[in-house]
Formats: sequence, structure tokens, C-alpha cells
Amino acid sequence: MNIFQLYRLVARNQRLATRRHPMFSKGKFMKIFIYLTVAFWAAYLIFFGVLFGTVLKEDSIEPYDRINGGMLFFLIVDFFARFMAQETPAQEIKPYKLLPIPQKSLINIFLVRMGLQLYNLMWFFFLVPFGILCIPEDWGFMGFIGFLLGWWLMFVINAYWYLLWRTLINRKSVFFLIPLVIYAVLVYFGYLHDMNNQWLFYATLFLGRGFIQWKWWSFLSIIAIAVVMFFVNQRIQLASIYREISRETTAMKVKTQKMTFLDRYGVIGEYLRLEIKSIRRNKVVRSQFYIGIFYTLLLCLLLAFTNIYDNAFMTVFILIYCFACLGTITLTNIMCSEGNYMDLLMSRRESALALLKAKYFFNCIMLILPFLISLIPVFQHKFTLLDIAGSMFFTSGCIFPFLFQLAVYNNTTIDLNNKVTGKNNMRGSKTQVIMSFAALFLPMFIMYGLVVAFGDNKVGAPLVMLILGLVGTALHPLWLRNIYKRFLARRYENMEGFRSTRKS
Amino acid sequence: MDLTVSNVRKTFGTTVALDINQFVIHSGDLLGLVGNNGAGKTTLFRIILDLLKPDSGEATMSGDIDGNMVSYVTSKCEDWKDFTGAYIDNGFLIDYLTPEEYFYFIGKSCGIDREVIDQRLMKFEHFMNGEVLNHNKLIRDLSAGNQQKVGIIGAMLNNPQMLILDEPFNFLDPSSQIAIKYILEQYNKETGATILISSHNLTHTIDICSRITLLEHGVILKDYSKEYANLTAEIDAYFRGEVIDTPVASVEINSIEIDVEDPASGYVVEGQNPTELE
Repeated sequence: MNIFQLYRLVARNQRLATRRHPMFSKGKFMKIFIYLTVAFWAAYLIFFGVLFGTVLKEDSIEPYDRINGGMLFFLIVDFFARFMAQETPAQEIKPYKLLPIPQKSLINIFLVRMGLQLYNLMWFFFLVPFGILCIPEDWGFMGFIGFLLGWWLMFVINAYWYLLWRTLINRKSVFFLIPLVIYAVLVYFGYLHDMNNQWLFYATLFLGRGFIQWKWWSFLSIIAIAVVMFFVNQRIQLASIYREISRETTAMKVKTQKMTFLDRYGVIGEYLRLEIKSIRRNKVVRSQFYIGIFYTLLLCLLLAFTNIYDNAFMTVFILIYCFACLGTITLTNIMCSEGNYMDLLMSRRESALALLKAKYFFNCIMLILPFLISLIPVFQHKFTLLDIAGSMFFTSGCIFPFLFQLAVYNNTTIDLNNKVTGKNNMRGSKTQVIMSFAALFLPMFIMYGLVVAFGDNKVGAPLVMLILGLVGTALHPLWLRNIYKRFLARRYENMEGFRSTRKS
Repeated sequence: MDLTVSNVRKTFGTTVALDINQFVIHSGDLLGLVGNNGAGKTTLFRIILDLLKPDSGEATMSGDIDGNMVSYVTSKCEDWKDFTGAYIDNGFLIDYLTPEEYFYFIGKSCGIDREVIDQRLMKFEHFMNGEVLNHNKLIRDLSAGNQQKVGIIGAMLNNPQMLILDEPFNFLDPSSQIAIKYILEQYNKETGATILISSHNLTHTIDICSRITLLEHGVILKDYSKEYANLTAEIDAYFRGEVIDTPVASVEINSIEIDVEDPASGYVVEGQNPTELE
């Protein structure tokens, strides 16, 4: 097999991998959803391309100079966006390892394909309309082509830089900090340290001008960097193949926490214990929980120590999400981690009901955290206790029942220890997507509607919310059982989904 | 506990995975299900356990529970779960627990105290061979063999009257295979529980099972009692690809109605008691 045949083979396999991605196999809705998402971002970027191309013309600096000067920020966004999709060749090369193919050739092919991947053209949705509006009138059509070519090379370098970093963090998590530190240093010293001398702005402006004017040094320097990055990656990837293949997860010795205080709650206590252990011992569940806690604390602290909620909309937004954001983040995937052992749950009487109850209690208990922090603005007389209690019970009695409906429809197993953004965890059903969006926005609109309806009456809205919330909370055994019955009615469909998306 | 599988048919696309007219497993039977890959063994178990919806038909468990005669269609209620234990694959394992935590979890969900669980675990000491308990390791960090042990033990902790194990000898080392054979035989003798196992290991299956059922392409081809003289020879011959020339009617089994197909003649008798054909 010569190098071209090998290239075609790898390209074909990569195309098949994309086409047969589990998300696509979820049916038409998910396909349309993916296309719509891409179309949305494309439209979004085109809009900003046109906007910047028009608005910046009135600036004293040429629009393309302004964009070229801010090149670093585009590259930073692009770098972190790659976290969602790009895998390392060392991971992809595994299936080819035993085939009689020179590894170096294989790595080279993967790297070339990484440079040529369509993703590197994503920013063209922004750059093309922007460039058309600004560049040809000053530099002609070739100036525009040079501008695009230069930026494309920058994104290719970014792809290799990302790849390098992504491979290194597979070795040691601490490498996670490298880009954060580098970008922080560059942004601070390049832009913020001396506002009269933003050297990085002018450096990238100069480089961008070079692209537009087809200066040999600009392309040569960038191509040289790309080539160096290519070969550095080649070496690192070759070394990483053996690590990937021989990677053994070291068996973790765990301390058995008995949490005996939960014994008094019988089976529910046992499931609560399970919930806590799941958070502690599973990377994905833990990450979701920490992200939820992070946003809860962030919103609570905004509520307690800032005044950004001075208008009615922001007040509603922050108050509701102080309480609801943890639940919204974790419950959107309700039952997905349990998909790993759904057969066990389904072979024990009413165990799924006990699980749902435990999850409900756990999430209710977690509401204590935002409640306590929210007392600070209450003591500062920014809010009343009724506002806080209304939001809290509205969450436990109205938002949670809504989110728990997903237990009926979710049927995708989450790989508990894959990275959160791993491909295998980027799946979901139509209902899951719709309900997640609804859960994110509906409560806010309901509460905002109440605030508007009651106008100057500051007690009305939180009081209605409190009453609704208390009723919903008190009725939890009823609606949880109803969910359980509907869950049983869909059990075959769901179990098939869980099984087909389980790792092994 | 009797188990009756009636009119069960399951297709995946155009492939018929299971097509059983009537299949009765009597209380106290230790039945071994043998067949090649894709025969429908796991599908049958999943349908019995209500983990998979058949296109038609149902499984019924009936018998004496605490002095009461009961009969439960597994897809229509959950009562049968109280006296059933099963292990099919690692979808039955909560792999982020230690084995001890897992066993106590099973105990709790079956209403069994920790002390009782500890006592019951002692029976499996030889089987665990010191590799499962007290290592503070998560189940996911155990070897495949030890995970299999945890799953099997978990299925037996509630002393089930109906025990279903899919490929119980898989992944186990020879000592553990012998140990589990002994455990299953003893459990069957002591409790009179009905036990269904599927296996590719013909020797072990024939050694311990009172009945051997040959399933192929979703259809029950033969159903032998252990006493049948040519049992081993016939099963060996079948898996060697030879035509079994023994007429179906001569298979000595008792009061069972099955879809019977004679591989030699391709003759199928639906829902008939083979002994009646003689």
C-alpha cells in the first residue's frame, strides 16, 4: 500500500466514523438538530463578519488591521472550541497498530488530515464576508485571498498547537494550565499592561498586513512555524502511541465510606449513598456536579455582592438560577449514568422509583447551599426572605418535577469516566434536547411573567411562586410515582437505548 | 418455581432471534441452554427477565411462595423480582462500588440485613478465592473474572427461587469454574430453586445440569434430560456439524411442549410433547 492509498483509506475511515457517529444514529431529529446548530453558528459568524466589516469602517484604523490586531483572541476562542471535537492521532491510530503499515507514515497522514480538516475553515464564515467588505477596495482580490490564506495557516498552526497540548494533558493533568498561563501572559503583556503600547496588537496587525500584501516573510514565517509544529507533533505522537496502547488505568484503592447516618432512611438512604458515591468516584458525574456548584456559587455571589440585578430581568434570572442551575445541569442527564447498570435496577422491584426519590431528595438538600448564601442579600435588605423562599420552593416544587420528566425519555448511557466533552457523551435524544432548552428558559419566563403581572406589588410574585412550589414539593410522592409508571411504560425502548450506548 | 415461556417470538429487523411456541421449565430444574453464537440464549433470558420486549408471547413464573400458589407474567408485574436473581452481563454491576458495597446495596434493595449478607457471603469464600473482598478496589478495577464472580454472587444473595445466569463460566479460571459448578449444584439441591444457565462450555453444562436444551437460530432443537444415554455424544456431534440421526421422538424428556425440529429431516413439530411422538 503506497502513501496515497493509505491516505485514502484513513480518509474513508474518518468519514465513516463521522457519518456513523451515535448522535447521527439517533434519527432524523438529531441530524436536523446538528445541521441547524452548524447553520446557526455559521449565520452568527456571517452576521458578525458583515457587522464588523461595516461598523469598523468608520474607525480610524482600517477594519482588517483591527481584526488582524485582535488575531490572538480569535485563536484563543478557536483553541478552546477544539476541545469539543478534536481527538489525538495517538487515540485514533490504535486500530491500525497491528497492520503492516509504517507508523510514521500513518502519523504523518493523520497530521496532514488534521491540517486540512474542514474545521480549520470554520472562521471563514466570519472572515469571508468581512474580507469582501473591506479588503478588495484597498488591496484588490489577491489581497483578499492572501488575507484568507494567512488566517487559514494560523488556524492550522492552532490545530497543531491544540494537538500538542491535548496529547500532553493525557500524560499529566497539570499541563492543562499551559495554555491558560500562556494566553494570560500574552493578553496581559501584549494588550493590557501598557495600553499605549499594545505590542501584540501591532505585531499581529503587521503579520496580517503581510498576508494581504503577499509579503514573502509573513507566509514563510508562518509556514516555518507550521512545519516545526508538524514535526514536534510527529515526535510526540509517536511516543504517545505506546502510552495510549499500553495505558492501564491504575486500580484506585478506595476508602469505603459507610455513611451510616443514611441507614435510617432504608432503601432511599441506600440510593442516596449511591448518588454520593457516583459523584465522588465518576469523573463525568463529578465534573457536572462541580460545574453546577461553580455556577451556583457564582450566581449566589453576584446576588450577594454586586448590583448587576438592579433591573427586573436580571433579578429574576439570577434568583431563579441560583437555585436551579445545579439541578438543571445534573438532572438534564438523569438516568443516563444509571444506564450503565439499568439491567440491575430493572431486575429489582421498584428500585428505579427509589432511585428517583433519592435523586429528588439529594437535589432538594443541595438547595440549602444557595439558600444560605442568599441570606446575605436578605440581611442587606436587598431581598426579602419571601423572595428567596419563593425561588427555592419554586425550584423544588415546579422546576424539579419538570426536569425529572426527562427520566422517562432519556435513554443514552453516559460513559462515567470519559471526559465530559468526549464524543461518546455528546449524544442525546430529541426529547432530551428540547426538555433541556425548556428547563433552561421556561422557569425564567414563568417567573418573569409573574413579576410583570404583579407590577409594583413586590409580594405577589414570590408568594405565588412559594405556594406553587410548596404544593409541588408536597406532592412529590405522586408525581414521582407518575414518572416511574411512565418510565416503566417506556422501559423496553429506554433499555434498548441504554444498552446500545453502553461502553462495553 | 415453574417457568413457562409461551408463544415468544422476537425479531431484529428481518432476523428471527427467537421463536418458541411453548417451553416449560419445572421447579427444581437445573437447565443448561446451549447453542452457538446468535442462537438466542441471551435474548431468551432478557425476555424472561422483562428486559427486552418480545414481538409476541410472554414468560410466566408460577409456584409456591411462602405457602401461597402464585403465578406472575414477568412483563405485567414486579412481584416475581422478589424471588428471582439474575446475572447476564456487566449491565448488572454498579462498577463504581467496591464488591462489599455492591453486595450490601443488593441486600438493602432486597430487604436483607448486612449481617445476613455477611453470612451468605461466607458460602462463596472458596469461589472468591480471596480476590474479591477486602481489597478496597472498585468493581471496575477488578479483573473480568472477578467481576463475573461479583455478578454471580450478587444474583444469588437474595436466595432466589429462580436463578438465571448467562455464561457463568466465562472469564473464570479453572478453580473458579469448578467452584461455581459445585455452588450451583448444591444450591439447586438444597433449595430446590429453578436454575437456568447458558454456556458454551458443554462439559460443565452437561456435568451439572439436569436438563440440556439446544437452541439454534432462536428455535429449540432438542431438549434432553440428563439421563438420556447418548446425551454427550449427540451434543458433541451436533456442534461438530454432524447430522443427529436420532429421531426427535426418542429424546427422553418429560412433559415438555416445545417446537421441535429434527435437523436430519427438517421436520418441525410445533408445541408438541416429543415423548408423545413415539
